[in-house]
Amino acid sequence: MDCKDLVEKLYFYLDGEVLSEEERRAIEEHLALCRKCCERYEFERLLWDMVRHNGQNDHVPEALIARIEGVIAQF
Amino acid sequence: MMKTKEEQKKVFQELLVPELPALFRTALRMTRNREDAEDLVQEAVTKAFAAFDRFEEGTNFRAWIFKILTNTFINNYYRLRDRQKAPSLEEMEDETSFQPSFEGVTPEEALLNTLTREDILRAIESLPLEFRAVVVLTLVEGFSYKETAEILDIPIGTVMSRLHRGRKLLQKLLWEYSTRKTDMEKENEKGWTAKTL
Repeated sequence: MDCKDLVEKLYFYLDGEVLSEEERRAIEEHLALCRKCCERYEFERLLWDMVRHNGQNDHVPEALIARIEGVIAQF
Repeated sequence: MMKTKEEQKKVFQELLVPELPALFRTALRMTRNREDAEDLVQEAVTKAFAAFDRFEEGTNFRAWIFKILTNTFINNYYRLRDRQKAPSLEEMEDETSFQPSFEGVTPEEALLNTLTREDILRAIESLPLEFRAVVVLTLVEGFSYKETAEILDIPIGTVMSRLHRGRKLLQKLLWEYSTRKTDMEKENEKGWTAKTL
């Protein structure tokens, strides 16, 4: 695997999308050996972790929970 | 054996409650407005219960109710004014206007250090709907590409291409916010030095 192949597969790898065992191993080997790709991977991993973490950080308003309970009670 | 209404309600409620936070925040990202988001969740829940006898127990409830939520949003909330307000893709994808430059740290480190939750939410909510929906479902809510394709009723190849462009757009916006902040800090420092000298 070269750097170009890695860039193509990186998001599949980050997103946990199905890759063959062979592809996964090739990515991990390349990341262990190539500093540039490893830095890119670390940056992308941290960035998308931040997006996920911050995107998930909303609390459901109590009023909405009460509304939903009310709706279900009426079914 | 047929379930009684009360039994159905109980099963529905047990499946629904753990998903409420995710449904609400997704509704928020879609409508960009708390009041609409609450109404949207309520409407989606009502529709979901009405259709619940067609839901096959043991299948993916989460994907099923997200599909109802996104369809309800597109049909009832995504009004013409929202479509008109969205900037064109060409405007958003124009890469010539952006050149990050930082001192001392790598641009990547600077980006990760300066980003706030508000920046991230603002960037997500600025994306045109087709990209926003894919980004929220896969990157925030963790649905697989296949589940996202089913929820939005689009081919998996479309999910992948929208996700790719959505990521690029989101990164571009985040870089812009970060660069603007770093520039403002520099300006403030200059102002402070000039005043004190």
